Amino acid sequence: MSKKQAGFYIDAQRCIGCYSCAMACKNQYHQEPGVHWRYVYPLKEEIYPHRERAWMSLACNHCEHPTCLEVCPVEAYYKREKDGVVVHEQEKCIGCQNCIRSCPYGAPRFNPARHQAEKCSMCYQRLDAGLKPACVQGCPTYALQFIEDMASFDQSGKVQYLAGFPRFPELNPSVRFRPPREPREVRR
Amino acid sequence: MAPIDRKFIERALASPVTRRKFLQGLLVSGALASMPGGLLKAVTSEAGITYEGKYQVFRNACPRNCYDTCSIKTYVKDGVVQFIEGAPESTFTAGALCVKGFSYWRRAYSPDRIKYPMVQQGRGSGNWKRVSWDEAMTRIAKKILEIKKKDDSLLGLGLTKYSGNFGITNYGVEGMMSSLGYTTRFVGTPCWPAGIDAQNYDLGNMWCNDPEDFVHARYAILWGANPAWCSVHTMKFIYEAQERGAKLVVVDPVFSQTAAKADEYWRPNTGQDGALALGMCRHILDKGMYDKEFVTQHAVGFEEFAEYLRREVTVEWAAQKSGIPAQDIAKVAEEFATAKPATIWIGYGLQRHVNGGAMVRAIDALVAMTGNVGKVGGGARYGHLYTWGFNYHALIQKQPEGSKGYVGATGPMGEFDTGQGAKAAKYSDRAVNINQTARMILETNDPPVRMLWVSCKNPFSQDFDLTMLKKAFKKLEMVVVVDQFYNQTVEQADIVLPVTTLLEEWTQNVSYWHYWMSLNEQAIKPMFESKSNIEIAALLSAKMNQLSPGSCTFSPKLNSKKWMEMEFNKGIYDLFGIKSWQDLRKGPVKAKLASSAAWHDYKFKTPSGKYEFKSDLCKEHGHQALPEYLANRKPYAPYRLLTPHSKFNIHSQFQNLDWMAEFNPEPFVYINPKLAAKKGIADGSLVKLSSKVGEMQIKAKLTDNVAPDTLLMYEGWFNKNPYNVQNMVDDTSADMGKWKTGAPGVAIHDQFCDVNPA
Ligand code: SF4
Ligand code: SF4
Ligand code: SF4
Repeated sequence: MSKKQAGFYIDAQRCIGCYSCAMACKNQYHQEPGVHWRYVYPLKEEIYPHRERAWMSLACNHCEHPTCLEVCPVEAYYKREKDGVVVHEQEKCIGCQNCIRSCPYGAPRFNPARHQAEKCSMCYQRLDAGLKPACVQGCPTYALQFIEDMASFDQSGKVQYLAGFPRFPELNPSVRFRPPREPREVRR
Repeated sequence: MAPIDRKFIERALASPVTRRKFLQGLLVSGALASMPGGLLKAVTSEAGITYEGKYQVFRNACPRNCYDTCSIKTYVKDGVVQFIEGAPESTFTAGALCVKGFSYWRRAYSPDRIKYPMVQQGRGSGNWKRVSWDEAMTRIAKKILEIKKKDDSLLGLGLTKYSGNFGITNYGVEGMMSSLGYTTRFVGTPCWPAGIDAQNYDLGNMWCNDPEDFVHARYAILWGANPAWCSVHTMKFIYEAQERGAKLVVVDPVFSQTAAKADEYWRPNTGQDGALALGMCRHILDKGMYDKEFVTQHAVGFEEFAEYLRREVTVEWAAQKSGIPAQDIAKVAEEFATAKPATIWIGYGLQRHVNGGAMVRAIDALVAMTGNVGKVGGGARYGHLYTWGFNYHALIQKQPEGSKGYVGATGPMGEFDTGQGAKAAKYSDRAVNINQTARMILETNDPPVRMLWVSCKNPFSQDFDLTMLKKAFKKLEMVVVVDQFYNQTVEQADIVLPVTTLLEEWTQNVSYWHYWMSLNEQAIKPMFESKSNIEIAALLSAKMNQLSPGSCTFSPKLNSKKWMEMEFNKGIYDLFGIKSWQDLRKGPVKAKLASSAAWHDYKFKTPSGKYEFKSDLCKEHGHQALPEYLANRKPYAPYRLLTPHSKFNIHSQFQNLDWMAEFNPEPFVYINPKLAAKKGIADGSLVKLSSKVGEMQIKAKLTDNVAPDTLLMYEGWFNKNPYNVQNMVDDTSADMGKWKTGAPGVAIHDQFCDVNPA
């Protein structure tokens, strides 16, 4: 067990689906065309009854028990002791894609140019420099926030599995959500 | 795995643009030699990105036509931008940017950029030939001299420029034109003219509260505004107001992203916002809930307005016009009148109608009669030019000795014109309506517009009635376009000149919404052979004088940094509390405001010095003196067509970038499922739209975000995609705008069309 477990808080009531977070990530790491480590997913209309009006901004969830780490044959993954960040070491990666297949959240992505996997590292170098992850700093509405330690995070009004976010308790993903509300509507 | 879109992984795997292909493409285009090598490298997550002292940090400012005008910090290593972020010093930008902002340097380094001056053999042929700057300038200068000789004036030279780059040194383009002589100018603004006039009649100017004071609002109506897409940074202040207990009402014909964040959303009949506001006014009047002190002490004409309301307006009438039930109108009216302070944000959407100015006046009246004008957290918010007090040296240039021009009075030369129109000269420029570019080119004669200079603008994506515009361009003898990408206007050019991006030039920016000022430094050397608009003006001036001494007065010695320095003055320094522009190196600064509330001293700039419910000036200008109801445009086709802004672009900029295309690969028309069912249209299927000016084919997306009688397409320009909403939109004028901006607005949202399966 790591000392602390860092995580992401996604306030879907505040989130406007603006893609700033996803683009901030590309801006920081220059991902190959077609590759995104963070992506903004619209909630399906069965969940929020209007198309493309409620969102989930997702990257790697830095799970307490990461399956990516377990399935990697060359131990390219490690979990940081001090904050539980799950790091993928690209230099070790042989591109077998086991992690990509095993992660139910689609977090590791295949980089066709390098023939390797890659994923969100929670900007651990930024964390070590006392900064927020690029996506968190880049969110103009404060909908995406950095949780320093899941253990001391105020859980009231928050859920771990927002409708549409798959439930994998055995991984224990380090994310929390606030569900989106709907306005009262007066339509002609 | 339901919600995670595996498609994106698959797409990544199947991505046709592998790095190798990308490199090959660059080799073929000859761009590789000048592409900085480090740029092509993606950074791996554990590559050791560092933060301490490894970068040169530059200050930049987003110069696009956007409320937010963000302050940017640019991190450069070895002369190459590594990443950018929002400047944390600005409490408005607060470290974040919008999706477009974060893609910025992809624009500077795009392999698709126009790299060199190019000449096209046959407009639209794509048969481009690279020429030197010297040759391009020689061709242009010779044409200008030819026109002068033929017409004995330069009125045959037209300039159409708008808001593609609001960095203030870009007014050097207008300066260049004046330096040549008297020319033809496309004046006005497609953005906000009807509302500007409306607010000037009511208040004497357009001046809005600091958006950061939204947090103090106890009640807010966002009326025809969609900040969740068009002013992302303002959302946090609105959320804070909500968290402090304010109620948020959004009024919009579209269930916008902002509407989804409201406590209450109203979808009225499009163009009936005036009726709705007047209905609320009447109810507040009946209930005696208006601010008696304000209407007697600080306003004129309230009694006449009240009399009009009692005579012509009822809540039921408003309900019937707008489709919003009477009890809802009454309820929100009462809530708005009792919450103190209460505010309305009037978006630029609702004034883009034939009755747009009248509707803005009705909403102003609602805010005023409830005593919310001049209040912190209150106000009828529209925009301001309070912080735009630069010298505009680049803009104000002297015509060469002996220049001849238009004889007779001309009005203002656009909304950012600082009194240029007022000068008493024998000759002046010839002003024509920017919102009717095509019509003006076709109808202007003696002399005709022979040559068009386009800068900071993409008329083929942004001007109205494309069919007519294509016809109009045939009349032009030479078209010069200054741009960064081969867009649809460049396709119709004879000569294209590559212009710098914000990262490659010096300038400065203020906002028409918030009160921050930012410096824009040159962070990287201009890519390829691009030059700033100032340098282009200097180059043309040198060439003109070489071929015909004394024919251009623009100084060829000053560069964009020198011009920028010259734009500052004591007024600006005092307003912002700085001693020198160099202070802006440390970060953006905010204007020192006596209050965050506009009109806090109730000193209105109207003829009476008071808020004018009744404006004689408005009447003199051919409108109604009172903010009376004005009917909207009669439909000319079965369904209303709305073509507002998307979150992925600002007008025709940004969407063409490779990174943006990943998040928004193709355009759609949005159709209500009820209408789709009636027409046999399936989600994702191809449909044909037709209006009186043109037609187009496009894929449909079904959504109840739009009403069953409405079709919605977002404006924009996609690289190598013929999509263009201006195929469908005519150039009908709005009611107001002529007074302050030189030309009436345009009824962009009073458009209609039909739809059928393709
Ligand atoms: S989300 Fe996937 S990639 Fe991230 S830690 Fe969990 S299992 Fe690993
Ligand atoms: S930046 Fe923030 S508001 Fe925008 S999509 Fe990401 S989480 Fe949502
Ligand atoms: S487009 Fe607007 S929000 Fe985006 S970076 Fe520019 S000013 Fe900021």
